[in-house]
Amino acid sequence: MTNAALAQSSAAALNPITVEVIGSAFASTVEEMGEALVRASYSTNIKERRDCSTALFDATGAMLCQAEHIPMHLGSFIGFIPYVLEHVGAETLAPGDVFIGNDAYEGGGTHLPDIVLAEPIFHDGKLIAWAINTAHHSDFADRGHAHIYQEGLRIPPVRLYRKGILQEDIQKLFLLNCQVPHERMSDLRAQMAANRLGVTRLKELCDKYSTETVLAAGRELMDYAERKMRAGIASIPDGTYRFSDLFDAESLREQLEFSVTITVKGDEMHLDFVSPPQVRAGLNVVYTALLSTVYYAVKTVVDPTVLPNAGLARPIHVTAQKGTLLNCAHPAAVDGRIAACQRVVDLIHGALAQVVPHRVTAACNGSVAVASFSGTRADGSLWVYLETIGGGFGARYNKDGLDGVHVHMTNTSNLPLESLETEYPLTLVAYELVDGSGGAGEFRGGMGLRRVYRAEADCRVSVGGSRFISRPWGLGGGLEGGLGSFTVLGAPDRLVNGAGDIFKGDILEIVTPGAGGYGKPADRAPAAVATDIRDGRISSADAKAIYGL
Amino acid sequence: MAWRIGVDSGGTFTDVCLFEDETGEVVIWKVSSTPDDPSRGITQGVADGIERVGTSAGAVSYLGHGTTVATNALIQGRGVKTGLLTTGGFRDLLEIGRQKRPDLYDLQADKPELLVERHLRFGIEERVLADGTVEKTLDEAALREAVRALKAEGVKAVAVNFLYSFMHADHEKVAARILEEEFPEAFHSLSHRIAPEFREFERLSTTVVNAYLGPVMRGYVKALSGKLADLGLQVAPQLTQSNGGVIGFDAAADMPVRTVLSGPSTGVVAAQAVGRMTGINNLITFDMGGTSSDVALLADGQCRVVSESVVHGYPIKAPMLDIHTVGAGGGSIAYIDSGNHLKVGPRSAGANPGPACYGLGNDEPTVTDANVVLQTQNPEYLLNGRMKIDRSLSVKAVEKLADKLGMGVLETANGILDIVTANMAKAIRVISVQRGHDPRDYALVAFGGAGPVHAVRLARELGMKRIIVPKTPGVLCALGLLMTDLRTDFSATVLHRLDQVAPEAIASLYAGLETQAEAWFEREKIAPTARVLTRTVDCRYAGQNYEIAVALPEGPITTEAFRLVKEGFEQAHRQLYGFIAEGEPVQLVTYRLVASGLVEKAAFKAREIEGEDSSAAISGRRDVWMAEAGGFTSATLYNRDLLKPGNIVAGPAIIDQMDSTTVLPPGYVAKVDAYLNLIVEEK
Repeated sequence: MTNAALAQSSAAALNPITVEVIGSAFASTVEEMGEALVRASYSTNIKERRDCSTALFDATGAMLCQAEHIPMHLGSFIGFIPYVLEHVGAETLAPGDVFIGNDAYEGGGTHLPDIVLAEPIFHDGKLIAWAINTAHHSDFADRGHAHIYQEGLRIPPVRLYRKGILQEDIQKLFLLNCQVPHERMSDLRAQMAANRLGVTRLKELCDKYSTETVLAAGRELMDYAERKMRAGIASIPDGTYRFSDLFDAESLREQLEFSVTITVKGDEMHLDFVSPPQVRAGLNVVYTALLSTVYYAVKTVVDPTVLPNAGLARPIHVTAQKGTLLNCAHPAAVDGRIAACQRVVDLIHGALAQVVPHRVTAACNGSVAVASFSGTRADGSLWVYLETIGGGFGARYNKDGLDGVHVHMTNTSNLPLESLETEYPLTLVAYELVDGSGGAGEFRGGMGLRRVYRAEADCRVSVGGSRFISRPWGLGGGLEGGLGSFTVLGAPDRLVNGAGDIFKGDILEIVTPGAGGYGKPADRAPAAVATDIRDGRISSADAKAIYGL
Repeated sequence: MAWRIGVDSGGTFTDVCLFEDETGEVVIWKVSSTPDDPSRGITQGVADGIERVGTSAGAVSYLGHGTTVATNALIQGRGVKTGLLTTGGFRDLLEIGRQKRPDLYDLQADKPELLVERHLRFGIEERVLADGTVEKTLDEAALREAVRALKAEGVKAVAVNFLYSFMHADHEKVAARILEEEFPEAFHSLSHRIAPEFREFERLSTTVVNAYLGPVMRGYVKALSGKLADLGLQVAPQLTQSNGGVIGFDAAADMPVRTVLSGPSTGVVAAQAVGRMTGINNLITFDMGGTSSDVALLADGQCRVVSESVVHGYPIKAPMLDIHTVGAGGGSIAYIDSGNHLKVGPRSAGANPGPACYGLGNDEPTVTDANVVLQTQNPEYLLNGRMKIDRSLSVKAVEKLADKLGMGVLETANGILDIVTANMAKAIRVISVQRGHDPRDYALVAFGGAGPVHAVRLARELGMKRIIVPKTPGVLCALGLLMTDLRTDFSATVLHRLDQVAPEAIASLYAGLETQAEAWFEREKIAPTARVLTRTVDCRYAGQNYEIAVALPEGPITTEAFRLVKEGFEQAHRQLYGFIAEGEPVQLVTYRLVASGLVEKAAFKAREIEGEDSSAAISGRRDVWMAEAGGFTSATLYNRDLLKPGNIVAGPAIIDQMDSTTVLPPGYVAKVDAYLNLIVEEK
């Protein structure tokens, strides 16, 4: 072929290459925002546990790009900017305005501790996009959960900064409702810095490529995510797939049944959820939290590489009756919504296991074990410490599950012991894998964790989780994983509905659930069983009983 | 005649660089590496090099060595069977890590290979509390029993990490004594010596990696020193560490975890030397090879040293140059994903089968194929004619993607280069923009076989105005070994509030570190006049958990020094995060002392500047597709070896040399400096 013939030209200004280059700039911007937030923050939950997320949205309220931090946080983003646009109005916005909000019913939040800061980005006098981030402020501790009014201060999206000027009255009102105001203020400062970076970077990008090109590339990236999502869904055989499971929690008297019906038709997917009426406990899920959970779960099955932007949602349709636990209405309490969200992921994987069994795992630990400690320091100030603990990751069709990790909707770090004990009156006695907790199978489910604390001062504790009664299920003949538990040693009645006082010297043990196995135990390689026995992951007695070895 | 030798041992080639002090003569030599036992290839390379310049091993005044032995053993899981002794109740910490899963969405992702099996990890009764007090003394009998069990299991190395060992090392010292008594033949790695800093998991990971690599490195160093001594070498050879300094072989064998970035750090040191030569001190280095590219930033000639990084999935607390690696190299494969977008890498065709044009069975287009299609790289052969290639295979490979995209073949090939450039630009943004530096204030130093091919595109993408292509870009790392000082790092962690601590307390901490440094100077036989100590302190606002390193001024530690530390901290905080927290107390966390033994460095001699006329170096013309020209344009071909100081080459041009190719688009001009570097700028 001659060089002239090779040089077929296409004059389109927006070729796929430019789109790719701009997409990579979006991704590095949200990552950079996230790093700045973590490093400049004060509270352990953000600086060490990284319980925060960052994103860019376009002027219409569609997500351009989300950093890969916590999938659950997408729920706090997708409702926020549409709410501002509708209730505050784009015409009232000015450069330097910064909105703060957290409410589940007014402003698109998913629970009150996740506080969102959003800043509109103006270029050449025109609103072109938004920088947004959320951080889980470990505050609002030791509150009730009968309804949302007990759970903390409700903040609809309001301006914390107006044209760059801090609205001190708003900040004061907020801080007075917080137990650890100094941390809150410092964390807000880090959130501000993160958004400022996002604003600067996006404007630089527009200077370089022109605003039109950047925004057009943003739209094309959404179309691209949609195409990939559709291609992935189309590869799943058409049909209707159902799955149901029982949900338990520390604050429920009985198990509740959740179910999903998934209909795959061509390149679209419809998911319908059925759950009991919303409960007077902090377990309810608002619709945006349900949506972000479904997007996460479908993406893991369909194509884990789909870009995290608004396009991926287009071929997915989600329904659930309003007023039920999985689509709750005002004034349902929502603080611990993540436990139910984890089970929504399990439901989707369980249903799709019937048709694409190699793309899902056996049930993961189905929970996020949360422990929150609070008390009063010698100087009279309050302290609050919150942490979440991982558990078993479900076995895969071709390999064992991961032991002791955060699964699905969250992925926060633990706090280093040497930091925890320095900052709070707690001592860790043990932190280890729970022997025998991984569901047996040709491939073993992941093991749960045991974290044991000793109180060095009197304090208030509240704990939450799931899978205390119904075990994480296996697939293809794999067995169930181990259960979770919370125990104050020697004082089993100390915690009621997951909350209570503990005293200096008390020992609190938290065990998180394991995960289900995949394939029949009889098919497990004898060498793998022998290794598990040698490593103490299963006992010889269990090995004999389950594997006959 | 006193020759210095630098040897950089890579996966495919071992590069040897010889330098003669008086004449400034530089000789470069390449031999095939011997991956099964790299010491053979290295000894061969040194022997050949010595013979080639006509000297004897006894006359060699210096030998510096960069190695990938530690890195490769880590990547390929070829370390030794390792045991662990740790605080009871925490033996699983190595597995749990920070409890995060390896990938957010990919259900098939796995954690990196565990370096100590669970049955070889022993929790021993002992406990130190957060304030440094001992709650439970070490159960020595249990520890002794565990050591015996590990010995019976046949482990080759033992790691020891107790909680709070960075402030209370006594329990680990007892463990060291018992290990000496019971199991002296094993390699011992103790956390208070390897990484005496807070955050127990990262310290544990570092200590374990060190144990896992210890015997490998020890064996390697022993074999190599033996062979070099047999050759007649009189000087003690030196090895580069991840911090860019060299260290004696024995010290390296003791702390192999400090050498995991030995290879790339040498390139940065070499670029630093190039910067000194050219008088340009603000540099971004760009080392592009076959499968990946390494980038680093030098502000005022200095590369930031980070104290912690994740290397191949393992957190490592060790001083390392702030080098960022991206999976984009000449062999990176371009493909179209399910959303119909063009992507490049990180999958690589490697050296075998290599790019499609090699004709060795790969039919997917690589970055090199894109260059061959556009004829920016020689479309007929590589390596000065040593290797034939077939451009039609490149065209065929790129065409498949072009058809799917509905674009032309040339446009697609150009797109592949644009995307790989964007990937590299992203890496450079991490080390520049994200750290508060504007790349436009920096010059790009391009090296590695593929660096000079892509340098101008990359510089333009980042708005950088000047590019330096060193004389021998393909073997720059070996050259860097001749430019390196001896260096080691000491640290101590104690929390103090800057506004409350007495200067004497900090002075006494540094005095402790200086004692260690003095001992090291003695061990390494560094002359008193060549000894340099540099102090920095990691600071943060009390309440934050990430620190910023701030220089401590020279001289006695006084309140005035504290004031300067606070000032330096605030300045850095503002640069990184855009704000300072007025009125918040500043906390001191880790005190660091860098001990350097200055080595007399190879001094390159400037040559006489000759005329601008470069026509004597012209070797021909070739049609080359250049985006700036909007298509094929006739480019002048130059032989780099024939370019003289002062010569000027105007684009469009291609400057070929054995180890690389420099691409000069229209509108760019290269000037040859007195050291035979090319300085490329926009016309």
